[in-house]
Amino acid sequence: MNLNDAPQRIRWITVAILIGIAVLISILDATGNLDAAFGILRDPLTAVLHVTSSGADTVAGALAGPRDLETARTEIAQLQAQVDDLERENEELREIQGEYQLLLDLFNRARQTPEYTRQTASVIGRDTSPAIRSIIIDKGSEDGVRVGMPVESARGLVGRVFRTTGHSAQVALITDNASAVPARLGNSRATGLLRGGELGGALLMDWIDLKYQVEVGEVALTSGLGGEFPQGIVIGRVTEVNRSEVELSQRALVQPATDFDSLEIVFVITDFQPLDVDIFTNPPGN
Amino acid sequence: MRTGIYVAVPVMLLLAVLQTAVLPRFSILGLVPQLSFLVALSWALLRGLEEGLAWAFIAGFSLDLFSIGPLGTTAIAYMTAVFVVMMLMRVLPENRFFIPVVMTALGSAVALFVYLLFVRLLGFASSLETAVSLAPLIILNAGFMLPVYWLIYSLDRLIHPRRVEL
Repeated sequence: MNLNDAPQRIRWITVAILIGIAVLISILDATGNLDAAFGILRDPLTAVLHVTSSGADTVAGALAGPRDLETARTEIAQLQAQVDDLERENEELREIQGEYQLLLDLFNRARQTPEYTRQTASVIGRDTSPAIRSIIIDKGSEDGVRVGMPVESARGLVGRVFRTTGHSAQVALITDNASAVPARLGNSRATGLLRGGELGGALLMDWIDLKYQVEVGEVALTSGLGGEFPQGIVIGRVTEVNRSEVELSQRALVQPATDFDSLEIVFVITDFQPLDVDIFTNPPGN
Repeated sequence: MRTGIYVAVPVMLLLAVLQTAVLPRFSILGLVPQLSFLVALSWALLRGLEEGLAWAFIAGFSLDLFSIGPLGTTAIAYMTAVFVVMMLMRVLPENRFFIPVVMTALGSAVALFVYLLFVRLLGFASSLETAVSLAPLIILNAGFMLPVYWLIYSLDRLIHPRRVEL
């Protein structure tokens, strides 16, 4: 090292000054005396750093894209499978809730009239003839179901057992043309005969005495007359009254309480004994 | 003819089950198309009166098994309808796509009329209101005829493939 050489001397002095400045800055920074001064410098740099970092992330993401896309696809597939499972579960729960409500209604109906023994049956088919209204249930003679037994739903009267096989039965609905149910109205106490076959599945209550003031909205129930149906089963509500003074009786349209299109479960009243009216047509002496 | 009848029995029984247990859940205005009748009529249009009557009989009988109506009534109604349609077909031009549709509407009306008549004669009450309420069924049947006819046409080609001489 030859310090007599002027340029070299200047170089070494510069290095010493720089080291000195560095040491000084270190000391000042360590003691917190440079925060304000360097803060002015750091802030714009940080902003630049942020922009650069974001760009770098984008580039890195784009470069690593295929791998992450694959991961994302797998995750989407897993989530979709979970959604499908949950949706199916939801549907099952809704179905269970519907069945529960149906059974609850049936239970409540059975509780209202505990004097009758009932056989629960599912509706498994409907009459193939468009002109005849009947349903097929999954209980037959082997289950104690007999011809003539009344059938009801949670909402009201359905019909009568028409024909049975071992494990199924055909039930003629009260809306069928050939149906005739003796009925009584709830408020006016008027009696009449309910016939099926009207347009829109309504029933026509005929032979109501003119002395009764029949009101729209009255509930029609089985009267028990004729002995084919138990007394007091709800049939429907009066929706229209046709009163003509020139006739001997009046008529009323009754909308059945049971929705026959969505019938799923019914009760067969198994211990009701229909009255044997043959005795009147064939007296014992004959 | 014998092959056709062997096929008719399972086909019609299957359709009767469909008609009883499945189709009522998808009813249109409370009515369902009479698939068995459409199939029988299609077969008659494709294979002639004799086979058509046999298919109509099997169709009606299969349906009557699931009905509280008198057994055989539907068979009579369908056979009459097929007979009337096939008689008319003798004077009508062939190979018109709308012919099966028109004939279905006519056949359905005949079948319904005969059915209601027999049901009434046999003691099952049927009223004018019933007949009126069933009128849309004629249109419904006609609307479903073309797809059914096409299916039966395909089935017929499967059972009776055409011979081609080169």
